[in-house]
Amino acid sequence: MKSVAIGAHLLRDDVEPLASATVVGDLFLSAVEVADDQPLGDRELLLRVADVRARLLDVATFVAIRYGFTFTSAADAHARCAAHLARWQRLLTEHRSRVEMTLKVAAASALPRPDRREFTSGADYLRALHAATQSASVDPAFREQAERLIASPSARHRWIHRDERSVELAALIDRERVDDVLRAGEELRRAAPAVPFLLSGPWPLEVFADDSDE
Amino acid sequence: MSEQSLEELPLLETLDHLLDRGVIIAGEAVISIGDVDLLYLGLNVVLANVDAIIRTSKR
Repeated sequence: MKSVAIGAHLLRDDVEPLASATVVGDLFLSAVEVADDQPLGDRELLLRVADVRARLLDVATFVAIRYGFTFTSAADAHARCAAHLARWQRLLTEHRSRVEMTLKVAAASALPRPDRREFTSGADYLRALHAATQSASVDPAFREQAERLIASPSARHRWIHRDERSVELAALIDRERVDDVLRAGEELRRAAPAVPFLLSGPWPLEVFADDSDE
Repeated sequence: MSEQSLEELPLLETLDHLLDRGVIIAGEAVISIGDVDLLYLGLNVVLANVDAIIRTSKR
């Protein structure tokens, strides 16, 4: 058997009985157990992990681990997570009462996505892809409204370029303010009906736990 | 956010968060044919889109 990791949690009771709990230092890894030969790309497994992930968030906030990390024992898990544990514990303690919410906004303008066939060099293609991603921009008036309605009630927020078609506002929200933010999303929809966007959440600590986004 | 919310959210958004958000833990894989290990791979991303790889490579 192998364990497909979902997140890092402060307490064992935050994990069990929804998922298996593996001790890593002072924290607990949640995971679903699957056969060794189970492909990670299997649709049913993806949906099962997504469902367990959502149920775990109902119990308590956790640090999300990107899908794909598997381990075979507690020692294996600890060895591969050891470098992160102190930071995760600090994040979990600081943000236990908070969740993330995401506002994904269609870009008002951007460079077109480069066509791989037009590049002989893979590195040049990746650079062009990166330039296109960074060029995505949101209408300034909409951004101002989003800052006022979504970002202002948040503990922290961050704008992120993920692709050339959209820009995201990730916000760290107190759990008791989630409904306020959802209502703010409805107000934003009325204020800017022409701008396509998706307000989603709550999510676990994803953007604010991922040091590659800092 | 349990079953009801999962049904309300577009499936792609849910999978996008699963595959493209959160902390990346280094992984590893051995590609074998029969009982012979041919290639060892150290992985930072097992499943991700190209944009995620670019962001990771910026570190």
